[in-house]
Amino acid sequence: MILAVAPLSDLLSFGNKGYLDELMWGAIATLEISFLGYAFGCFLGLLGAVGKLSGGSLVKNILGGYTTLFRAIPELVLIMLIYYAGTNGLNQLLISFGFEPIQINQLLAAVFVLGFVQGAYSTEVLRAAILAVPVGQVEAAKAYGMTSYQQFRRVVLPAMLPYAIPGLANLWLNITKDSALIAVIGSSELANVTRIAAGGSKLYLVFYLLAAVIYLVISMVSDQFFAWLERRVRRGQRKLA
Amino acid sequence: MANENSQTAVVVEDLHKSFGQLEVLKGVSLTAREGDVVSMIGASGSGKSTFLRCINLLELPTRGRITVTGEELLLTPGKDGDLHPSDRRQVERVRTKLGMVFQSFNLWQHMTVMQNVIEAPVHVLGLSKKEAIERGEALLNKVGLYEKREQYPAFLSGGQQQRAAIARALCMNPKVMLFDEPTSALDPELVGEVLKVIRDLANEGRTMILVTHEMKFARDVSSHVIYLHQGKVEEEGPPKQVFGAPISERCKQFVSSIH
Repeated sequence: MILAVAPLSDLLSFGNKGYLDELMWGAIATLEISFLGYAFGCFLGLLGAVGKLSGGSLVKNILGGYTTLFRAIPELVLIMLIYYAGTNGLNQLLISFGFEPIQINQLLAAVFVLGFVQGAYSTEVLRAAILAVPVGQVEAAKAYGMTSYQQFRRVVLPAMLPYAIPGLANLWLNITKDSALIAVIGSSELANVTRIAAGGSKLYLVFYLLAAVIYLVISMVSDQFFAWLERRVRRGQRKLA
Repeated sequence: MANENSQTAVVVEDLHKSFGQLEVLKGVSLTAREGDVVSMIGASGSGKSTFLRCINLLELPTRGRITVTGEELLLTPGKDGDLHPSDRRQVERVRTKLGMVFQSFNLWQHMTVMQNVIEAPVHVLGLSKKEAIERGEALLNKVGLYEKREQYPAFLSGGQQQRAAIARALCMNPKVMLFDEPTSALDPELVGEVLKVIRDLANEGRTMILVTHEMKFARDVSSHVIYLHQGKVEEEGPPKQVFGAPISERCKQFVSSIH
């Protein structure tokens, strides 16, 4: 029996017959998950770095455990652990208090898990960047009467960016690809949509290549952006002749 | 001292500072009245920079009292043996009255010269940006850097950076200027332009405490000179005495070896 397959032009179109709109929405979902996870991760990383550098021993120990665990356990395992076990645990807790069980939003779960993993890595990137800021920069801020917050916001934060951006750019590229792991919990991001399109049409090569190109475009555009950002934060530094 | 009747600007009494077992300051006192230029000289490791850095608490003293424009810094002994500020706000307020100039300039690298100059006046003193820029332009003119105001520090020479740093300190309208070896990091040919700016400030009657290795300069501009030796005041008095007829044998050797 010959499998009736729609012509390629139909499959590669927007609308009911084609998969291009699905792929587009998948790519948008990937960017959305990545961006939110990244933002959450950078926020956690900033807190983590500051905590590791100036917190008490309890804070330092907790953060040490966090960065060790989340960098050691494969993300796939973490995703399933937090999504399935987390949902289960939360619902049992809700039921025991007499509430209705809830369905956790996949997007939120994805952002949450990826953000926590990113946070562990960016804690270390930002910690190293903060340590690279010359002591004199902070001493000058102190000497002119700045509060601790002002010292951080006005001097440490902008001064550490030249050291942080390359590492943070790496993390962004990682998360755009790690977001594909979210496919295991059935999220409709790019990798999962591609799998469905390829399986449905049997055009594996076409759809996986298409997905690969989309990931490539995302990372090339990102590279441009980070190159611009790095030039900007390094504008006060001399270039190597 | 030159201004017996004027108000005291900085009074430091019996200051001690230890780094672990090493006691680098063994009870140093200093009084600077308004208009005084007090120079601190001494060999490397004599504790003069540490002493200066204790005045605005960039270094925490182990013992002693510090009074700035009549306000004594509230200090409490900590577990580490140092005195810690009891009131953060007070320290921040007092620091705005002390214009610090560092040996290695410490201009903020991510800001232009003008941004450096107006940063603390705007964000610490709460000046409007317009007012701060007016003040900044006048000061940059004064130190001869008006044309460089939009440049980043890394693109300036050491002498220019230090003059910008002096403008930054002055823009706070400090009661007292603290200079921590302001010319030690400079190439010899750039020392003169910085000393000229400092000399002009002295001539205007600014109160200054100056840690320096420039003996001739200290002799010219100071109203009072303190010679530190191994964390103690070995000799002090008017420059004529300290440089011309020191009582201490060590001081005599030190000033003659430098000349």
